[in-house]
Amino acid sequence: MLHRLRFVPGRIVQAIPVAIGVTILVFLMSHLLPGNPAVALLGDRATPDRVAALSKHLGLDKPLWLQYLIFLGNLLRGSLGESLSYQQPVSGLVLHAVPVTLSLLLFALVLSLLISVPLAGLAATRPGGARDLAARTFTLLGQGMPQFWVGIMLILLLAVKVRAFPVGGYGDTAADHLYYLFLPALTLAIAMCPTIIRSLRASTIQVLGSDYIGTARSKGIAGAQLFRTHVLRNAAIPTVSIIGVNLGYLVGGSLVIEKVFAVPGLGSLMVNAIFARDFPIIQAVALFVALFVVVVGILTDIVYTLLDPRVDLAAAQGAAS
Amino acid sequence: MKNKARVAAAAAIAAAAIVLAGCSSGSGGAASAGSGKPASGGNLVIARAADASSLNNTTVFDNNSIFVLQQIMEPLFTVSNDGKTVKPWLARSYSVSSDKLTYTIKLRKGVDFSNGTPMTAADVKFSIDQDTKTGSDGWGYINSAIKEVKALDRSTVEIDLKYAWAPILADLSLFSNAIVPNNYGGESQESFYQHPVGTGPFKWDEWKKGQYLKLTKNTHYWQKGKPYLDSVRWNVVPDANTRKLQVQGGQADVDEYPDWSSFASLKSTPGVVATAFPSTEIDYIAFNQKRAPFNDVHVRQAISDAIDRKALVKAVLYGNGKPANSLLAPGVPYYDGTDGQKYDLTAAKQALAQSSVPNGFSTSLLIASGNANQAAVAQILQSELKPLGIDLKITQLDPTANHQAREDSDFDMAYSAWTMDIPDPDEWTSFAVDPAGGANSAFTFYDNPQVISLNEQAQKEIDSSKRQKLYSQLQRQTAQDAFLAYLYYPPYAYATTDKTKGFFVTPLGNYHLENVYKSGQ
Repeated sequence: MLHRLRFVPGRIVQAIPVAIGVTILVFLMSHLLPGNPAVALLGDRATPDRVAALSKHLGLDKPLWLQYLIFLGNLLRGSLGESLSYQQPVSGLVLHAVPVTLSLLLFALVLSLLISVPLAGLAATRPGGARDLAARTFTLLGQGMPQFWVGIMLILLLAVKVRAFPVGGYGDTAADHLYYLFLPALTLAIAMCPTIIRSLRASTIQVLGSDYIGTARSKGIAGAQLFRTHVLRNAAIPTVSIIGVNLGYLVGGSLVIEKVFAVPGLGSLMVNAIFARDFPIIQAVALFVALFVVVVGILTDIVYTLLDPRVDLAAAQGAAS
Repeated sequence: MKNKARVAAAAAIAAAAIVLAGCSSGSGGAASAGSGKPASGGNLVIARAADASSLNNTTVFDNNSIFVLQQIMEPLFTVSNDGKTVKPWLARSYSVSSDKLTYTIKLRKGVDFSNGTPMTAADVKFSIDQDTKTGSDGWGYINSAIKEVKALDRSTVEIDLKYAWAPILADLSLFSNAIVPNNYGGESQESFYQHPVGTGPFKWDEWKKGQYLKLTKNTHYWQKGKPYLDSVRWNVVPDANTRKLQVQGGQADVDEYPDWSSFASLKSTPGVVATAFPSTEIDYIAFNQKRAPFNDVHVRQAISDAIDRKALVKAVLYGNGKPANSLLAPGVPYYDGTDGQKYDLTAAKQALAQSSVPNGFSTSLLIASGNANQAAVAQILQSELKPLGIDLKITQLDPTANHQAREDSDFDMAYSAWTMDIPDPDEWTSFAVDPAGGANSAFTFYDNPQVISLNEQAQKEIDSSKRQKLYSQLQRQTAQDAFLAYLYYPPYAYATTDKTKGFFVTPLGNYHLENVYKSGQ
């Protein structure tokens, strides 16, 4: 079993040039933006003298390549530098925001699976039937409604009218976090469900038509047991890679949702940092998101390999090289 | 694609706001002014768009930080509720020498820091000296008239000036001159401002960056019986619609700066009180005199005359606020709108006919992207200038890039605004009309020796009626020179729950939370 995961260390090594590439790109892009962080900090009171003095104080008068090398040097020593606007270590700020965004994404993933798997199963058992039609209508609606709009509607309905949930925020305790994150996670889940349902429905229909399902049926296995033990595992294979790719996109989607629901995650941190030209924060968040996408890619391949014994990525890698 | 998504987002939010506005109807809320006996206890939650950045009062420039640190640290003097004068605060009284160069200040007795140690003259000397030292890295320039601060005894401070300086008491009322313990109580400056100590009604508790900042009651506060609240918490809620809904849902007590578009609907929402507090803000269009044809006074006058300010107030501020006629807002001492700027299309046409470009010209207006008010003003100006033959293009840059462009004088016309930090016109007039103020006259390169001289005289004139004459003359002349086209004076918008009492914002924008209480505690 484990020998099929030989590809993982190689993938991790591959992530290093990706990360360095991302830091260079983000570093250059953020510095190309017009507007000096000192101008952002001083606001209306900015006079050229004060901007120059503050720029020097913040080390922004150094040449760009030197600033990048300082950033890289700090990174190698395990430091992400100091935020220009908060004048505090960036690592602390990012470490506060990472668990928030990760739990939001995880919560959204769990909710979308809880919604999608039963719906796809129901739809696939009788294609063209009433339940299938209902599931397909749901996917169409879910895909058609913009996320932020769904978010606002959920707030209006469940937080303002019914008052079952808070209007945004994050709460103070772990239980609070789950409660506060429910609506934003549901919003993200609604956006993610249609793709999962469609792919799972299609592959389930295909699996249900295959010979081994006929064999299983003839052995008297039916209903939920058949679905769980014989159908889902095989039908899930294409869906897993779709979820993997979508999780990457979801990080982008969560930026908007974090704003609507006042969730203090990476998205909020990043957007504020861009407006303030707080370069160290922009770099740290971009680096984290890039690594996250790489890790999700590796995890997807691991799950893929474990689900389907025929897949051998290590052998494929060997053959390709 | 991203941009499209943003536009769609804005449209959906606007649609939701309209739906909501339609849904909410009912009686107006109760007045927010305190009535009945204040009750102790309760926690106040203020929802705001962005987090504070730093609590170092000597170097911080953003209001989100300033409004918080003002609850922790207090200055010797403070602004009166109408914003026109200063009154002793941590000072008890003061006297001025006949040459106007020496101010002797007696300190209030029985004032303790939140850690229980008494405030003395040594703390005052240290605090003001620290502010002065920041120079151009902070607010130090505000103390440039101060020669020396002396602690005469435990409760007397003497401030010696380099020259007679009328704004000195107003300068001392600035948050940057707030009193902190001598030598930061033995800490380094950096570590002190991680959890600052002062004499204010609230003391440091907790700051989760990007999420919330919380202060708790200072039990040593010098105003006995105050503050009423147990704690104040500023929550970061970036979305305006979410902030509004939080106040409606009772999750927040105060919505800082709701949009004008939703202000009327908030006013008519049961349980919510929406108040527009008079401010010192002036919104204006700056002309870059380094670029032709804005070096021609007639061109500037023509544009200024062509702006229908009443229509702007109606369309952009939804009727809240006043048309601007003078460089100073009505909330600023020495305001005088006589012979100010006003809408007059005939005069505009005449002025343009006398100018170097009688048939009009093409130009651009720089505004901040993502700012609905500025976008609306820009579009209205575009149509108002068309009859004069002026073809106005709108350039949008995000706020920081926008600041940078003005800093670099890379604009024709630019939308900008100013609010006062001290109850004295000098802070703004020196920035706006005196090229030596450091900002090339608010980045316009306006340079009128007569106005500069008026400003310098007013700085040194202690007699307030003589000072009024100088500032009146300055306001008349600057309106005529039209180096800026004044647009409007917007008030500060706040929405609170009707259980929040005693919430009041001065024209300088600061609030005294020691007076706030919650009914039904």
